[in-house]
Amino acid sequence: MEIIISILAGILIATGVYNLLQKQLLRIVIGTGLLSHGAHLFILTMGKLKRGQPPVLEDNITNYTDPLPQALILTSIVISFGVTSLILVLAYRTANENKTDNMEQLRGNENE
Amino acid sequence: MSNLVILPIIIPLIAGIIAVFLNKKVVITRGLTKIFIIANLAIVSYMTWIVFNSGSIILETGSWVAPYGIILVADPLSIVLVLTTNIVAAACAFYAPYSLSLKKEQHYFYAFYFFLISGVSGAFLTGDLFNLFVFFEVLLMASYALIVLGGDKVQLRESIKYVLINLFSSILFVTVVAFLYGVVGTVNMAQIAERVQEVEQKGVLTAIGILLFFVFGTKAALFPLYYWMPKSYIVPNPVISALFGALLTKVGIYSILRVFTLIFIHEINLTHEMFIWIAGLSMVFGIIGALSTNNIKLIVAYNVIPAIGFIIMGIGIFNQDAISGSVYYLIHDMIIKSALFLIVGVIAYVAGTSDLRKMSGLMHHYPLLGWLLFVSAFVLAGIPPFSGFIGKLLLLKGALTDEKIAIVIIALLTSLLILYSIMKIFIRGFWGEKNTTMELGKRSMKGFIGPIVFLLTFSVVLGIGAEYIYPSIDTISAYLLDPEQYIDSVLKE
Amino acid sequence: MIFAVLIPLLFACFVPIISKIKHKVHTGFFVFVIPFMIFLYFIRFVGTGFSPIRDTYNWIPSLGINFDFYLDGLSLLFVLLISGIGTLVVLYSVYYLDTSERLGQFYVYLLMFMTAMLGVVLSDNVFVLYVFWELTSISSFLLIGYWHFNERSRYGALKSMLITIFGGLSMFAGFILLTVITGTTSIQGMIEQKDIILDSTYLPLALGFILLGAFTKSAQFPFHIWLPDAMEAPTPVSAYLHSATMVKAGLFLVARFSPVFSGYEWFFIVVSSFGIVTLCWGSYMAVRQTDLKAILAFSTISQLGMIMAMLGFGTKVAVFAAVFHILNHATFKGSLFMVAGIIDHETGTRDIRKLGGLISFMPITATLALLGTFSMAGVPLPFLNGFYSKELFFESTLNLNEGMNGVTNFLVQIVPYLAVFGSIFTFVYSVYFFFGVFTGKKNLDKLPKKPHEAPVGMLLSPIVLVLGVITIGLFPNLVNGSFLAHAAQSVNHAFEYKNIQFWHGFTTPLLMSLIVVGIGVILYLTRTKWDAVYRLLPGNWSFNKVYNVILQTIDTYSNKVTNAYMNGSVRTYMAIILGTTFIVTLVFLLVTDGVTINYDNLADITILEISVVLIITIAALGTIFSNNKLAAILILGVVGYGVAILFVIYRAPDLALTQLVIETVTVALFLLCFYHLPQLRKRTESIRTKSINASVAIGFGALMSLIAISAHSSNWFDTISDYFLETALSIGGGTNVVNVILVDMRGLDTLFEITVLGIAALAIYSLIKLKKNEEAD
Repeated sequence: MEIIISILAGILIATGVYNLLQKQLLRIVIGTGLLSHGAHLFILTMGKLKRGQPPVLEDNITNYTDPLPQALILTSIVISFGVTSLILVLAYRTANENKTDNMEQLRGNENE
Repeated sequence: MSNLVILPIIIPLIAGIIAVFLNKKVVITRGLTKIFIIANLAIVSYMTWIVFNSGSIILETGSWVAPYGIILVADPLSIVLVLTTNIVAAACAFYAPYSLSLKKEQHYFYAFYFFLISGVSGAFLTGDLFNLFVFFEVLLMASYALIVLGGDKVQLRESIKYVLINLFSSILFVTVVAFLYGVVGTVNMAQIAERVQEVEQKGVLTAIGILLFFVFGTKAALFPLYYWMPKSYIVPNPVISALFGALLTKVGIYSILRVFTLIFIHEINLTHEMFIWIAGLSMVFGIIGALSTNNIKLIVAYNVIPAIGFIIMGIGIFNQDAISGSVYYLIHDMIIKSALFLIVGVIAYVAGTSDLRKMSGLMHHYPLLGWLLFVSAFVLAGIPPFSGFIGKLLLLKGALTDEKIAIVIIALLTSLLILYSIMKIFIRGFWGEKNTTMELGKRSMKGFIGPIVFLLTFSVVLGIGAEYIYPSIDTISAYLLDPEQYIDSVLKE
Repeated sequence: MIFAVLIPLLFACFVPIISKIKHKVHTGFFVFVIPFMIFLYFIRFVGTGFSPIRDTYNWIPSLGINFDFYLDGLSLLFVLLISGIGTLVVLYSVYYLDTSERLGQFYVYLLMFMTAMLGVVLSDNVFVLYVFWELTSISSFLLIGYWHFNERSRYGALKSMLITIFGGLSMFAGFILLTVITGTTSIQGMIEQKDIILDSTYLPLALGFILLGAFTKSAQFPFHIWLPDAMEAPTPVSAYLHSATMVKAGLFLVARFSPVFSGYEWFFIVVSSFGIVTLCWGSYMAVRQTDLKAILAFSTISQLGMIMAMLGFGTKVAVFAAVFHILNHATFKGSLFMVAGIIDHETGTRDIRKLGGLISFMPITATLALLGTFSMAGVPLPFLNGFYSKELFFESTLNLNEGMNGVTNFLVQIVPYLAVFGSIFTFVYSVYFFFGVFTGKKNLDKLPKKPHEAPVGMLLSPIVLVLGVITIGLFPNLVNGSFLAHAAQSVNHAFEYKNIQFWHGFTTPLLMSLIVVGIGVILYLTRTKWDAVYRLLPGNWSFNKVYNVILQTIDTYSNKVTNAYMNGSVRTYMAIILGTTFIVTLVFLLVTDGVTINYDNLADITILEISVVLIITIAALGTIFSNNKLAAILILGVVGYGVAILFVIYRAPDLALTQLVIETVTVALFLLCFYHLPQLRKRTESIRTKSINASVAIGFGALMSLIAISAHSSNWFDTISDYFLETALSIGGGTNVVNVILVDMRGLDTLFEITVLGIAALAIYSLIKLKKNEEAD
């Protein structure tokens, strides 16, 4: 199953990257969302899947899943959320200010 | 005693939070900013003294012993860089009120400024790879906020590219940390180093290392990953450019220096050999960029890239002299790069344009500014007796000892062209007839010069007073080349 | 000694103050004292009993960089030139430069140069030598650009700086190489270890690096092009830096390192051939110049070439002739520059075509010029010092040692002919310089000013120099034993003192001199007929063009190259970054044999999981193909919720909860922000772009999966998590281990994670509030 989840995460990364390479801002931002989902799945997989109970200690259970990746993912999710919200507002402002949501039209020119 | 380590991270954090609440009372914020940054500088200086006299200071946060909790390590390398960070930051704090509009100051400039410093210091001090990611995010988030501060069209346009590329590299970063955790089962850098050494960096480890290199390389603006950098560095206010130029890319290169002297050092023939190639290409393409434009801010921004090239060259060569050279160059470049960004900021301000083709004869009105630029051109190019010279001498010596002739020739030609690129500003902008179309002499440079002189003093001292600095740098280099020292001091074995 | 070296620099700090306070008195009078004192300090070392003196002051001992001053015969010669000519030049400049000029700056640069030059010739430490060397380039740059409102001055300054600093950097590399080979930074130390150097495989490289420094500084062909343009500097500067001292730094360097390299045949070949070619080319080019200073500039180039050639020969005669000519050249060329300055000053032009018949207006100047030019031409007269060294030069060309190398033997054959060839032109331009200016038709109406004799003060310095020409001419042995012999000895250790005589009998060198004079006279008389030759050579092939083309190419191509990839398109940036990361990492993965797949110890596969995986996959692909913004956002939400379900399956309840909340908020935010934005458009890229995008995406995703699989297949260590499970309750005081980790063990992460969120909130707030850029900065 780890292999399958790894491949799934790879697919998320690939679709994320593909969206990132598009022109339209919305697609690009969607791409970043997919990328972070992929990353989180990778972290989860690294802790071995389904090896025991959720890491909430109870008596007479000795086998728990790896809690550290979960903690890391939690931190990462929150940070991604922060960045995603910022980028959303930024994208909105940029598109409004520059009157386009096409990144190819947001190249700018030399010597400004 | 060991609690000292947290102070360079916490003091700016607290100062930043205070600045958030005092945002409307600009005068008080300015005063407090200066007080806080100077206090921080004093504490860091004291810490530096301790580190060099009685060894690294290590803090196990929350008393969770290494390698389980997050470890903060003030070792010679990190503390020197934190010190330099605070020097640059102090100069910027005094420059900012003159350069920024009231609106920008009120819109939390000082808060973001402190958060940035907090993140940078944290990144230098942490001994935990995941925690490094978190501090990266702190400093990046602060930089996102700073780069859009003001929010005009061009700024927004370049910021979004900046944010996107950094966001991508952050995601990659966290993934790679996970991969590494999957193999070695830990995120503590000392323990990672120990375990990687145990299996002699076999299997997938080298590939993971290279991915990590690309993550940091993107932040450090190495060839061919620097595309996001030049234009996004010039859109915000000069004081912000100075902070970026001095701190952001340097955190990236610091991470490479750390990781590739501590952890991934068992396939040097492959990995470090590639660094030399990348160093050469960074120099060449960086300087070509700097020569390609007439925008004075852009010239300086492009010059960030060859400097990074010099530093990575030392890491690639990987001997005592070369690593000393890299560290020396790193410190030198943090200072001179921020000074240069501040200088071109003033030039653009007094000339009313950053287009070199529209300037001439500034010398008649601003001789002092001209001479500051003149000196910094030589500092930057590594012409003696300034700071760049010592770094370059060590790097080239290291390279020639290891028979790396080609990179030496590239480095020397690059130095020449770096000089040319900055001298262009001096010759075309400052020399020549008075330009009647510019409204010259009206804008005062009051307040701008002090911080620049402050920074350049350090450049001169780093060069002429090398006798007082170099032994410490040599200590750092010897320390980096002997990773056991780091591992032992963290894991207490 | 350090005081003598640094005093000009120290004094320079006070010059701006002096020039501000004392407006009426020319600043030059105060500056004059400095070189004169230095001259007096060093002149006392002159004498037959002289032996080298060493004086060391620490600077950066841990890097082996110290002020290690070493005064031997060679440095003594140069020190006296620097301070002696320096004194005269400052005196001359007092009359040349008006008090309305920015004198403060001028003298600061000049004093800075003096320190630098003294440092170059006195340093025994290679790195200190390099420091001073670059300082001479910098001060020369500033002096050439002194009248920087002139376009030509700026051009000349930049050119000289680029070429000499280029050479300096190369020399620096050579020094480092020698340091690495010998382990010492002292030149004398290197000379002692010359065997190690001569055996080293890096010998050619080190030699090449160092010679490049010397050739650029001493304006050797083809790096000579900066010197004519350096003539834009005020004439005292040309006389001082660009004729008597700085340009001789290269000669000094070669002389200094002669004892190291002299046993090496390629040293002879390279140095002599560059020297002799420079001699010929310089004198040939000088003849066609019309600007007096340009004639002198090319003449300087040619004379430098001659000295360089002699240093290359390295025989006893040649070395002596070289040091002798260094002295002689400084005297006659210094005086000629000053004469040119006087003519410029008094007539307002330096164009030889406009000048003529000035002898009746300026008899003293004419006399000085006559003696100077004839000494330069090597006219065989017993009171002209130029003749002696010229004849020694001819003599040295005839007695070259045959070598093992064919090139050496070829050179030995042709050098005498080339020497005569070059000297003929020297004769022609020297004669032309004098007769063109002082005799012939008077063109008073063409001159901007009415000519008259220069003030006494201005004549003083050239008179002193010409007196030097005559004194040395009449009594050559006055300077011979007392210090020239010492100088020659420090270049060639085998040198022994010999008397110089005017009459040797009818020897071959004398014959050569006579040939020069004979053909020279003919050529001078018929010089107007030779224009066609110049149109042929160099024609359009001057090295100036090369320099200009290089700079232009750098400008245009750097622009083209940079704009080609720095096109502002985030897609290009991302594609390059991703592509590089992908390719390099893949190569490393394969080279290090990093791919491992381990099927043991995997979790079992259930239908539930597979269906969730499929849903997520389809949804992820859906974001690509959807053309409706609302749909795309919702599909992204599906992916998020899918991931949350996976979290549930994989026993991460906290994660699942957080993911659900955050996903919901994010989708809401998406909808909020993109409500106003245009609808998603159909993608319109070409197939090529699409396939590049697709292959980058698929490649990168596959690579990540591959590394992930290899990573968890190489599970060689226990994780630190076991410790967390053990201690969460006992030390951390909580049963939910994830929570304990977050708030306790990795509390710092969480603190700063909240900080990130806080900064983000603040950034968004200020992004929305501070809408317009309401300032100009």
